[in-house]
Amino acid sequence: MRWIRETGPVVGAITLALGVGAIVTALTGYSVPQVFRHLAVGAFGDWYRLAQTLTQATPIIFTSLSFLIAFRAGLFNIGAEGQLYMGAFFAAWAGFSFQLPPVLHPIVCLLFGAAAGAVWGFIPGWLRAKRGANEFVTTMMLSYVAINFTSWLVAPGGPFHGTAWANQTVRIATSAQFPRLLRGAQLSWGLIVGVLVAFLVWYLLFRTPRGYELRAVGQNPLAAEYGGINVTRNMILALTLAGALAGMGGAAETLGTHRRFIELFSPGYGWDGIAGGLIARAHPLGAILAAVMMGALRAGGQAVDRAGVAPADLAAVIQGLVILFVVAPELIRYFRRLVRRKKLGDIEL
Amino acid sequence: MEILSFNLFISALRLATPIALVALGETYSERAGVINVGVEGMALAGALTTAVVAYFTGWPWLALIAAIGVGALLGALHAVWSVYLRADHVVSGAAINLLVLGFALFLTRVIWGWRGTSPSAPTMNAWILVGVGLFLIGLSQVYIFRTPWGLRLRVVGEHPRAADTAGINVYRTRLAYTVLNGALCGLAGAFLFNNLGRFTDGMVGGRGFIGIAAMVVGNYRPLPALAAAYLFGFVDALQMRLQDYIPSQFSLMLPYFLTVIVLAGFLGKAQVPKALGKPYVKEQG
Repeated sequence: MRWIRETGPVVGAITLALGVGAIVTALTGYSVPQVFRHLAVGAFGDWYRLAQTLTQATPIIFTSLSFLIAFRAGLFNIGAEGQLYMGAFFAAWAGFSFQLPPVLHPIVCLLFGAAAGAVWGFIPGWLRAKRGANEFVTTMMLSYVAINFTSWLVAPGGPFHGTAWANQTVRIATSAQFPRLLRGAQLSWGLIVGVLVAFLVWYLLFRTPRGYELRAVGQNPLAAEYGGINVTRNMILALTLAGALAGMGGAAETLGTHRRFIELFSPGYGWDGIAGGLIARAHPLGAILAAVMMGALRAGGQAVDRAGVAPADLAAVIQGLVILFVVAPELIRYFRRLVRRKKLGDIEL
Repeated sequence: MEILSFNLFISALRLATPIALVALGETYSERAGVINVGVEGMALAGALTTAVVAYFTGWPWLALIAAIGVGALLGALHAVWSVYLRADHVVSGAAINLLVLGFALFLTRVIWGWRGTSPSAPTMNAWILVGVGLFLIGLSQVYIFRTPWGLRLRVVGEHPRAADTAGINVYRTRLAYTVLNGALCGLAGAFLFNNLGRFTDGMVGGRGFIGIAAMVVGNYRPLPALAAAYLFGFVDALQMRLQDYIPSQFSLMLPYFLTVIVLAGFLGKAQVPKALGKPYVKEQG
């Protein structure tokens, strides 16, 4: 039962984080049972709320995949946020510029988003492979560039300033929109595309020679090189794919949720991807679950806030704690050893 | 051109200070073998702590000490995670960044009712901190390269097993310098608060990462890293003046663009500590 061994520490970390989160809640003077009840009901209470959770999980699936595909190749894509913005804008551009039949139009938009994100991933990939520039610095820096650039595009005086009352583009054509899945909710086909893409990434990583090469580069670049794998090319490919995935996430937001590009639309889905990828322990299918968990924390947090129980950002604190505990598997092992030692009355070796 | 005034060079020094402090801290921890990407969050925590303490006590000096303390605590957290629990260094740092950002948004709401910002609070003269920073950087250049302690630090990052054999405690050395890195980030955060007079969640704005870039360009040496930080500070200062001439979004991009270009143009030449980012496992005997 390998998957139990793999998920055990994650479940442990989440439990630990909820425990520490409860302590933080109590220390700041909020009611622990109230907060957790509203968190759960707000995230999963009825179909509409579940749809809200899944709506927020959708872009996080993509950005989590973005982080983990680079991570598998031994690279850190901290800049999914910027790639998401590039993808979201260029998907919107294809959405309001082209006249295409339904089905085909959103696919074209999705590809435009993927391509824009891919460019934004290729640059740091190339710089890392050819020039040795730390990708965790450059992806982060390019994120700021992308956010500012897309803001300018839709700002007054920019070329795509579409409406007078807000910095956004015009609406995309109806033919380009992802259909919604539930009446009255923003949940769209983006979720289904995200799940499909997660399976594709899984297939790529674990069932193709290309994926084998990517993972080999991540595990031991020297050995991979010695085994005849082109490390440079795989590094560039990994970050390009990472960019494309985050770009698709942005496109899904545009096509399914907002139906246009809005300045600064993301509440941090790109950063959530780092968390999602880590919580999933870099497994593409785990990323779906991790994204749903984070979507639930976001949606639940907003419900906690609306009910006036505590600020929504308490959920961000819990999320931060989950990541902190997930990334230190030794910590959970340490606790487990402690417990086991007590049970067996063992003497320390 | 009127943009290139004497004033520009002065404000460049001011804006270079947080970047230089982060670069100095990162120089210490990476020399000891610990990559710390959490500098961004540690500086943000420093700024928030300064705001909270200055707001409630009205004593900017106490706020400064508290910020350094909180930075050091986060440094210790990162050290425990990466050195003792052997978490991936970059991952642990990224986790700390996200955690601090979450706390910053939450605590500003709890304390002041505003998401991510504080009201203005008593400050100290930020130039004092510029002076402190310059002094520490000069001192560190001597410490790292001209003292036995500096030699021990460098050995731990280059060849931990040799250090261990020579009786140097690798774990404790790495812990100490990562704590120092956190403390310097806390100081950088305190500077940012005193420079602006209030807290905002975006006030670090990538300066932590730019500080890492400055350290790389400075080739893991405090004085050259200061020079690199000054270049970034200069562009930051220039950027603010350019906003009258070009769209602000473009001028805001400049420091980030410069960082990418400088890293791309420079690298390959840096002498990276050999054991950087690698966990050290003591031989079982």
